[in-house]
Amino acid sequence: MMDPSGINNFEDQWRKALNEASEPPPPSVWQGIEARLEEDSERGLVLPLWWQSRKLWYAAASIAALLIVGAGVWFSGSDVNDQKINTIAANERGLRLKNDKQTSDAEKSSAVSPQKEERLAEGKVLENVGLVPKNTDEVATKGQTNPFKNSKEGVSIFEGGKNSFNKIDNDPDNLPSSVIRGEATRLQQIESMEQTITATLLASRPYSELDVHVQKRYVFFKPEVESENPTKLTGHKEYWAGLGLMPASFNPDLKVKEAPIGFANQTVSDKKSVSGSSEAGASYAVQTQGGMRISKHWSVELGVSYLKGNSDYQGGGYLLNANNSKSANVLENALAGLAPSSSPIATDKNYNFANTGSIYVDVSKKVSNNYQFLQLPVQAGFTINPDKKLSYSVLGGMMANFFLSNDLESASGEIITTTASDEIYRSMNWAATTGLRFNYKLSAKWKASLTGSYQKAISSGFKSNQSLDTHPYLYGVSWGVRYSF
Amino acid sequence: MTFNEQELVRGCKQRNRIAQKQLYDVFGGKLFAICLRYTKNRADAEDVLQDAFIKIYENIDSFRADSPLEYWLRSVVVNTALNHLRQQKHLKELDDIDIHHNGIADKEFTLGNFQMQQLLELIRELPPGCQTIFNLYAIEGYQHNEIAEKLGISEGTSKSQYSRARMLLQQKLNKEKRFDDGSVRNKQF
Repeated sequence: MMDPSGINNFEDQWRKALNEASEPPPPSVWQGIEARLEEDSERGLVLPLWWQSRKLWYAAASIAALLIVGAGVWFSGSDVNDQKINTIAANERGLRLKNDKQTSDAEKSSAVSPQKEERLAEGKVLENVGLVPKNTDEVATKGQTNPFKNSKEGVSIFEGGKNSFNKIDNDPDNLPSSVIRGEATRLQQIESMEQTITATLLASRPYSELDVHVQKRYVFFKPEVESENPTKLTGHKEYWAGLGLMPASFNPDLKVKEAPIGFANQTVSDKKSVSGSSEAGASYAVQTQGGMRISKHWSVELGVSYLKGNSDYQGGGYLLNANNSKSANVLENALAGLAPSSSPIATDKNYNFANTGSIYVDVSKKVSNNYQFLQLPVQAGFTINPDKKLSYSVLGGMMANFFLSNDLESASGEIITTTASDEIYRSMNWAATTGLRFNYKLSAKWKASLTGSYQKAISSGFKSNQSLDTHPYLYGVSWGVRYSF
Repeated sequence: MTFNEQELVRGCKQRNRIAQKQLYDVFGGKLFAICLRYTKNRADAEDVLQDAFIKIYENIDSFRADSPLEYWLRSVVVNTALNHLRQQKHLKELDDIDIHHNGIADKEFTLGNFQMQQLLELIRELPPGCQTIFNLYAIEGYQHNEIAEKLGISEGTSKSQYSRARMLLQQKLNKEKRFDDGSVRNKQF
């Protein structure tokens, strides 16, 4: 029966259930958005919107106001200077100056014209800002001792030191010669002072930043953004630690390139001794690793592993000493040739067979040749479907193999152990490594992995490669788990 | 539109990062749920959400206050998701299929026993074409002729794909009910 109300309608039910659905996105999404926005803003996409910023308008208005006020001060300042120069010049051209009595402070105040006030003010300003040279006081002092009054033009000289004015009469007859000389000197000083002031003002124009473009002000907006929301480009960063066990097939690929000294004496043994070959044996590696995911797909990982590499060597025959019944197979004899003379291997397995008293026995006996390495791999990985339940990683990198020891079974059944201190094997040998890994997500933190690996040494494992050569390689399948932080 | 939304929009138009983050904080959850509905996994949903927000910030000037902000945001997200599906070629071959709606779903149909995450998971398990058309028709409320135009398919294909989606969902719901015996299962996805 259809629901007449429509409440139980199929679409309505779904819409009702999911229309308001909400699921918080992971933080990496915003970090990615922010990084892309930063890239866009660095490309200048925001610049055309400068006119939308109220702050910029305030800044522009402030600069404009400063310019207007500054320009007013500047032009008014230059007017006063010009007036001073004109006044002094006129006095020099023949205005009649005469002595007059010094007026009282009250009279001085009443005699000050608007122009004088301006000059008074300017004198103070100049003194305050330190633009007035020191001789201004001298000028003022001299003027004070010879008080003048320019009654016709109404021009007075500001006595800067004491805020008082001396009036000057235009009658030169009444002026003593000392006063005229003093006035001439003073004119020169004032002229030089005017030049200094003008030059100083020009040089120190506070508005030399007039050419600051409005768009430059945009810069102050940017740090605000950066400080509040520091950009993080580490959206996919993730660390993990892992543990694994790798059954492997290890082959040292050991070759006797030329007959060792004990075998070289006889034609048969000389030929037969280089015919042996290595066979891979069942080996294993215990692996620990730490990794870092640097982007959605890419990761790097480091590790420390212990490798027990077992193998067999077959062929080459062995020597039997006729005198003391000691024997040495081709590998022992070759190793003895590489070992320093002080080494017990050298004394036992080399010199005893270097004479003609030894017999070559051409028996193809399989001897075990087992290695131990400490491995430090550094690998990069590219992961497909990184966030799915099952993901796949392609790995590639380098591996430092630190030689720990080698056990070689002698013809008589005894084990000869060679260590790094015997200086036969390289203490560290580089290998290239590659692999394919399947990751299965067990939970948000745990993953199980299955890794197929191939490793191949890129240089010989022997320090001296005159007669022996080894380029170990390995195939392995590693089973592991890893924990993400 | 509330006062806060107006402020947010104004801030976003000025490319103010704080406003952009606030917009993301307010609407990110709902929009992410939409992305989850249209995609097959969280990684794809995250990519779609990221692309959608970049579009939102870049095109916020075209938003007019006469329509609800959330409606506009949802339409941007849906269009971004459809573009994503096109790129993934999930919408490449949508064929007309012969499925007739049997009307079972209208009989006292209720989703009351299911959690939102369960329902999302059911939708995501649909074949891609069915999933998209179901979302557009049942949740977003588009008509079949609009869906046909949007996806470049025939109206008949839209209808038949929707019928298939509806049938599959009904089967899944019945199965879930049978297994869960009416209890609510907290399914992680």
